[in-house]
Amino acid sequence: MNRRDFFKIVTVSGAAAATGGCQQASESILPLVVPNEHLVPGVASWFSTVCRECPAGCGVIARNREGRVVKLEGNPDHPVSAGALCLRGQAALQGLYHPDRITGPQVREGSAGFKAATWDAASKTVADKLAALKNGGKSRAIAVVTQLENGNLGGLLDRWVQALGARPRVTLEPFAYESIRAANRATFNRDAIPYYAFEDAEVVLSFGADFIETWLSNVSYARTFKRMHSFRDGRAGTFIHVEPRQSLTAANADEWVRNAPGTEGLLALAILRAMVDEGMADRRFGEAAASVDLKRAADETGVSVETIKRIAKAFGHAKPGLAVGGGVSVSGTNATQTQIAINLLNAAAGNVGKTVRFGADSAYGKVTPYAEVANLAGAMAGGEIEALILGPGVNPVFTLPSGLKLADAIRKVPLVVSFANVPDQTSELAHVVLPDTHWLESWGDYSPREGVVGFLQPTMSPVRDSRPMGDTLLRIGRAALGVEEGKGPIPWPTFEQYLKGAWAPLVKGDLEGALRRGGVFGDVAPAAVTAKVAAADSTPPKLAGDAGGLTLLAYPSLRFYDGRSAVSSWLQEAPDSMTQAVWDAWVEISTDTAKKLGVVQGDMLAVKSPQGTLELPAYISPTLHPSAVAIPMGHRYTPYQRPRYVAADTKSVNPMDLLPAVADATSGGLAFMSVKVTLTKLGTRRPLAVLQATHDQDHREIAQHVDLGAAREQALRGRPAEEAHPTLYPDQKYPGPRWGMTIDVDACVGCQACVVSCQAENNVPVVGKASAAYGRQLHWMRLERWAEGKPEHPANIFLPMLCQHCEVAPCEPVCPVYAAYRTEEGLNGQVYNRCVGTRYCGNNCPYHVRRFNWFQYEFPAPLEVQLNPDVTVRQLGVMEKCTMCVQRIIAGKDRARDEKRAVRDGDIQTACQQTCPTQAITFGNLKDEGSGATKLTHSPRAYHVLEEIGTRPSITYLRKVVRGGGHA
Amino acid sequence: MTAKAGVGALGAALLAVLVFLAISSWSRQPAAAAKPSAQPINFPHNVHVGTYKIDCQYCHSDARRSEYAGLPSVERCMGCHKIAGADKAEIKKLAEYHAKKEPIPWVRVNKLPEFTYFPHKAHIRAGLKCQTCHGAVETMTTYAADTGPKLTVDLLNLAGLRPAPPPLTMGWCVDCHREQNATAGRHAPLDCVTCHH
Repeated sequence: MNRRDFFKIVTVSGAAAATGGCQQASESILPLVVPNEHLVPGVASWFSTVCRECPAGCGVIARNREGRVVKLEGNPDHPVSAGALCLRGQAALQGLYHPDRITGPQVREGSAGFKAATWDAASKTVADKLAALKNGGKSRAIAVVTQLENGNLGGLLDRWVQALGARPRVTLEPFAYESIRAANRATFNRDAIPYYAFEDAEVVLSFGADFIETWLSNVSYARTFKRMHSFRDGRAGTFIHVEPRQSLTAANADEWVRNAPGTEGLLALAILRAMVDEGMADRRFGEAAASVDLKRAADETGVSVETIKRIAKAFGHAKPGLAVGGGVSVSGTNATQTQIAINLLNAAAGNVGKTVRFGADSAYGKVTPYAEVANLAGAMAGGEIEALILGPGVNPVFTLPSGLKLADAIRKVPLVVSFANVPDQTSELAHVVLPDTHWLESWGDYSPREGVVGFLQPTMSPVRDSRPMGDTLLRIGRAALGVEEGKGPIPWPTFEQYLKGAWAPLVKGDLEGALRRGGVFGDVAPAAVTAKVAAADSTPPKLAGDAGGLTLLAYPSLRFYDGRSAVSSWLQEAPDSMTQAVWDAWVEISTDTAKKLGVVQGDMLAVKSPQGTLELPAYISPTLHPSAVAIPMGHRYTPYQRPRYVAADTKSVNPMDLLPAVADATSGGLAFMSVKVTLTKLGTRRPLAVLQATHDQDHREIAQHVDLGAAREQALRGRPAEEAHPTLYPDQKYPGPRWGMTIDVDACVGCQACVVSCQAENNVPVVGKASAAYGRQLHWMRLERWAEGKPEHPANIFLPMLCQHCEVAPCEPVCPVYAAYRTEEGLNGQVYNRCVGTRYCGNNCPYHVRRFNWFQYEFPAPLEVQLNPDVTVRQLGVMEKCTMCVQRIIAGKDRARDEKRAVRDGDIQTACQQTCPTQAITFGNLKDEGSGATKLTHSPRAYHVLEEIGTRPSITYLRKVVRGGGHA
Repeated sequence: MTAKAGVGALGAALLAVLVFLAISSWSRQPAAAAKPSAQPINFPHNVHVGTYKIDCQYCHSDARRSEYAGLPSVERCMGCHKIAGADKAEIKKLAEYHAKKEPIPWVRVNKLPEFTYFPHKAHIRAGLKCQTCHGAVETMTTYAADTGPKLTVDLLNLAGLRPAPPPLTMGWCVDCHREQNATAGRHAPLDCVTCHH
């Protein structure tokens, strides 16, 4: 019996006909036909694969229960993610079990929409057209567009393209960092994106690079950044971030420098100039920055001469430093020049080879530059393309600027074939949809950087009728060529067979081992480069639109990337860390602009560019540069989310609709910062669902910080013991372990991965915008942002807040039915079947972490299959909250008992801890003096939130360490 | 007169109900609370466990490694029944399922509420006999549990007609855990969240 049959059979079918009267409905239970020794119902199996939610290519292990994947975790063996996963990776399950997933092939029937077809019929339609084109000598009219596939699927597709004589395959990634490649060609004579060794830097100077959100590899760089930055790891390096907007990455900086949009290159050269002037860099770099005058640069960038000199000093003295550039304001028409200036900074400070390492180059270096995509769009518009094949994950109609008029161009193509498995803006224009399997159901491989090859394997059978793109294309290709299986240039019967053949030399006979580890991981010898010093240009970017308008910053979203992750309702409901807004999109405007327009938060604004107009609610930000407005990218809804979670008439809002299609001439990269917009008050309102009412701590000292100097002193000498709060309660006795947790606020970057991981693990329902706006969200864990100092230049602290599992818990004595109680292992238990829903506990909780089921929340099919079978699905009228993953504690104890030993430190990991890219969360037995968690509770930085009220929480926070200034 | 007749009628009706309940429950064999015909194949536990002394875990082999005890695969049934009793009507039904490669749609007998987690594994590890919770399976023709506090069970128990089957209620679980901790020096958990999470 194969796996597929097993999965079919092992499902326990739901309730059937009632046997009458008030008796329980009878239920059938189905045995396996043939036993499978590897899969025991009730016991999880784990499969390693590679996350394909973005090109970072993190390693994933998928937890499979009864044939269905219920949770994803980072693969600890994978060198990129090292066991962590970001929120988008966690939410990939929502794409897998998406209620709108396409079932079977769809063929367009005139204007009536799609009609289901058989695989044979749909494939034949495509093959006939391709054969006609090939035989008619019009092979070049066939175009293939896929997401970044640098593994064997890419290889197979290229063979396919060659066999049919089609145009070279276009690899479409909206964020392709062409300017970094072009700058590296100019400075280092190498067309590649290097590995940036954040972990080895003393000072990181980032020009807009949002490496905690989307830049290149957000899990990997968040982790390595914290290795250089967190006090815990002893380095406590400095991070300076230059950006016109306080992004999440900027909020993590020790010094956030707000510059005028597009002046990053000038600022980099000014810093270089100051370094040369101060003798911190070789004189020969002086000529590159010869034209820069500090005073003039200060005027243009809006960054004072002192600040420039201070940054130059910090960066120049770092051994080594690291300068990186990216993000929307470094993506104008001057992007390459800006990146060259940043390259020169690195070269002048001697960082090349140390923190800027060529050799282990990023996969992003293989993306087709935007200019070529634009050429293809031109060819389509010109009628040159007669068959367009779109791989999964690409949605160019949505992710590319409307100025490209791609939708119109695609409409001119007689045959558009889409492999999307969830409908999107581009597949809507297709003539044939041949749904690809989700990456969690597929074979494949992906190399995130040189030397690292991650293997994809199916972690379960397809949820809906879908077939791997490789298989479908092989069949279509052979039919178009008129050859049989096993013959011709593409003889392989399936992609899996092609793949395994290609893997043979790589795995050296140990395929099973490689699949278990998640791939083949090696190191690549570093490549030496020398920097060519040439004068860098510092002209500002060219912006279309009204010269008196505001610069539009359409920035990549941490939650949705380019929009491909927006299908997930978990992500729609995970608050944006900075604004704490959920579901809706917004336009971020500065306080100045708001005053001028006379708008308050939630007022609707028309954002107008020469390309079009968007209507968006205003989010008023005191931090945004007054000459800019910012709109997050990637915001779209899928059919099932309307009207379930947002009003039926809510439109998706895509800032790409405002962009002209402009490329940076040198690199061919898309200029995301390319237009000025004007704002008009519409007079209507659409209030945002913002989950955190205030970012002001109001002296409550919820999120605490300590100065670096003081922290160092305390680490050496210890902190004077604080007087214990007097109490009349006796100490609780713990016969067994006492579970507890420490959260290092200094290590937390506010990425929300824990929030989504918790949601996935604990069957936390999605409530939708209206309920969330009422404060009825159900997240067991939230990420609070607390801002200190001047509102226009705050220092931020991110504080993960969850049930504190208090020893003297205010929730317990008020429960009339003993549903909230203290377990003998130090948890605050919540017994759902006892709870009668008085909500007294929620009202009495000083941490506001208890959540009430106001409704019977549904998990629209097939999302219910994702539910963790180890966690009860709560019903209407029940209070719930963080259990510290008690199901994992029970499983950990069970494993230890099987092995006839005690539970060891690290055996049990909570879901939030497991996924944290910076390992800010440590869980353990507080009675064990040797456990990691206990050691951290003795840290001089340890404190409890609201300690003065005497709740004696089991969760200890470690203060954030701040570097002078910044914090008030 | 009318009042008296009313009381009499009520009394008669009550008696009729009681008689009906007594007869209806007595007429059912203890182990056959769910009608044998409810199961797709009339599987006699008494023959397998009682007569042939087959270990419970030979068939319910997941009990020692999983939360669920599991059901034997159709293949496992056929392991013996290719030959043993192959001519019997019920075995022919089994062979039919096997030939069609279809699972047997057994009707669930034991079901705990969905907010309750009962791991078989931990109980097997602690050396419990399956009969402690599931009753004398070796005497049952078709296994069925008549669980919970039911009037019929109580009446029969009162009349000494049959012992109450293990009720599989929380109080009964907790009683056993307490007793084991007190008498056998075990550490059976009594925390609510051990089973309700």
